[in-house]
Amino acid sequence: MPSRSRVLRWLLEKELRELAASRSYWLLLLVVGALVGHAFITSVNLYAEASGIGGGPSALSQGLSPLEGLVVPTLGAYDLAATLLFPFVVIRLIANEKQTGALSLMLQAPASIYTIVAIKGVALVVAWAVAGLIGAVALAVWSGLGGHLYGPETWTVVLGHVLRGVLTIGVSSAAAALAASAASAAIVALTITLGTWALDYVAAARGGAIASIAVYTPSAALRVFEHGELRVATALILLVLGGGGLMIAATWLREGEPLERRALRLGGVLAGVVVLCVSLAQIRASVDVSEDRRNSLPRADEAALRRIDKPLHVTVYLAAEDPRLTDLERGVLSKLRRTMREVEVTYAASSRSGLFERPGDHYGEVWYELGGKREMSRSTTEPIVLETIYALAGQHPPTPVDERPYPGYPLAARPTYAPLIFFGIWPACILVLWWVVRRPRVRRLQSSRA
Amino acid sequence: MAVIRVVDLSKRFGSFWALRDASFAIHPGEILGLIGPNGSGKTTLFRCLAGITPATSGSVSTDGRAVAAPDRKRMLYFVPDGIRPWPDQSVDWMLRFIAGLHGAPDQARVGVIESLGLSHLVGARLGNLSKGEHRRAMLAAGLLTPQPLLMLDEPFDGLDLRQTRDVMAVLRAHAANGRTLFLSIHQLGDAARVCDRLVLLSDGRVVGEGALPDLRSKAHLAGDDAGLEEVFLALT
Repeated sequence: MPSRSRVLRWLLEKELRELAASRSYWLLLLVVGALVGHAFITSVNLYAEASGIGGGPSALSQGLSPLEGLVVPTLGAYDLAATLLFPFVVIRLIANEKQTGALSLMLQAPASIYTIVAIKGVALVVAWAVAGLIGAVALAVWSGLGGHLYGPETWTVVLGHVLRGVLTIGVSSAAAALAASAASAAIVALTITLGTWALDYVAAARGGAIASIAVYTPSAALRVFEHGELRVATALILLVLGGGGLMIAATWLREGEPLERRALRLGGVLAGVVVLCVSLAQIRASVDVSEDRRNSLPRADEAALRRIDKPLHVTVYLAAEDPRLTDLERGVLSKLRRTMREVEVTYAASSRSGLFERPGDHYGEVWYELGGKREMSRSTTEPIVLETIYALAGQHPPTPVDERPYPGYPLAARPTYAPLIFFGIWPACILVLWWVVRRPRVRRLQSSRA
Repeated sequence: MAVIRVVDLSKRFGSFWALRDASFAIHPGEILGLIGPNGSGKTTLFRCLAGITPATSGSVSTDGRAVAAPDRKRMLYFVPDGIRPWPDQSVDWMLRFIAGLHGAPDQARVGVIESLGLSHLVGARLGNLSKGEHRRAMLAAGLLTPQPLLMLDEPFDGLDLRQTRDVMAVLRAHAANGRTLFLSIHQLGDAARVCDRLVLLSDGRVVGEGALPDLRSKAHLAGDDAGLEEVFLALT
């Protein structure tokens, strides 16, 4: 029998060949090129206008951040691709083997079905990385124009899209294995996507427990990375969900096992994934990788707040749809969670909009409780909230440390040659490669050793 | 390879029994034929033996030890009927893949290609092959695997007379080299020509097992001129 490494190499080669033979993958490469190109050109032009290229007033340079001005919108094309195109590539790789009968041969291969499905996962990650090349080209063009890129925040956004791809691989693989046909699998995968959108919507409207689950929907999870935050729990949960999807696929493809036993195993895998995700959600470790430290409090405040060892309990009387809650959440509470040892937040508003609260409902109030003392504030701004917390802790606010302000990176340049790259050279390369891979090859029979 | 014994193998789909207490033996180096009318359970029997479909009950043993379904892939390889795997890949690549995956030497691959008359098709895509060409490509894949027992579902389906005779010669040569073959065959004439022994299946039950003379006596048919067709009609 061949060695294990040889078997793995053959399996990987097969999956890569099958991907190269897939029209849906080549279509994905073509469309991603156009989407990235369009997003890149639009972003660079807007950035140039904000930087005063047209002779008009330029925005404050501190407000010109390449992260949100260029990196996020340009690579945002991959979110669309991962939602609407990549699932079909994944589904084909599994459903085709079921439909053509190749699965019955693969089940007899000298490797377990878990190994076979894991290799499919690896090949799909490679395929997703290849699709990422045009995004890398966009960032290279930006650098070539003189644009600034801050490595840690850029790589974090890239990591977010890689994990988004892994999640798509997991969900679509599970759908392809469970559904009877590729078409049914596509419907299942898109239904799951729509479900996560609905969850996002409901969470935004209602908040509470649903909101704490909705932070792990693909869109919400990606937003964390796009905001320049490397949140360990989010990264690990996306990995577990992707890996869990592949495990579900492999479990269901063990066709030689009785249905009841497969269903039992499937339940075990699902329970394991849920337990693991709930456990991982408790991890609070996160790194603010943004150059402008947008996810962090000033360093002096961070040091002072870390010295407070008592838990902070916050009761918020703001409805989920109230923009003040969004301000408080993004501007203060998320930063406090990253800094203090223990922060517990209770969302106490009883209505969704907050428009028709009764006077006795405390609407608009935010109560802070620390070490048995309580204080109320209606402010959602960082300095006032911090002042309230220091007062409760019996501390003086720290003396501000002179921090280097974020300079901002204006760039008044037009992407003159970008359309040629994204709408000319890239599609031409894809078409030529497709032709090279697909062209009929008449090979003479010969021993590979000859 | 020791004798493989199949004992009381059954498979039920809902309330329908596709296989019922099928018992027979497979002897080393023989070509065993599985014959039976349409829907008699031939393919189900093969799939259950290969462990691709779970059997409802029954056992498969060799050397007196039961072999669980997941472990049977070391002992036997099954080439199903009607599959069209990897239609975008070439014949050459598919055979390299199967040979590489199962550790078959390169000379074996070249030999199988030549013996099955596939040399002119190595560059062709599997999806573009005719039924007979595809059948021979799948046979080649099966012959490249190292398991002592090879099960082929309808190996002559789609082949013309000359190709059938050539493939039979190839199978005979492999059996002569010690490989055991278990073939499900629809055409009784083909079965009579190539098989050493036969298993007759009807309504999911084994109604006869043995060489043609044994089956004749089981069917109470006198004389040597009764062919497999008469035996088949008498027993099924």
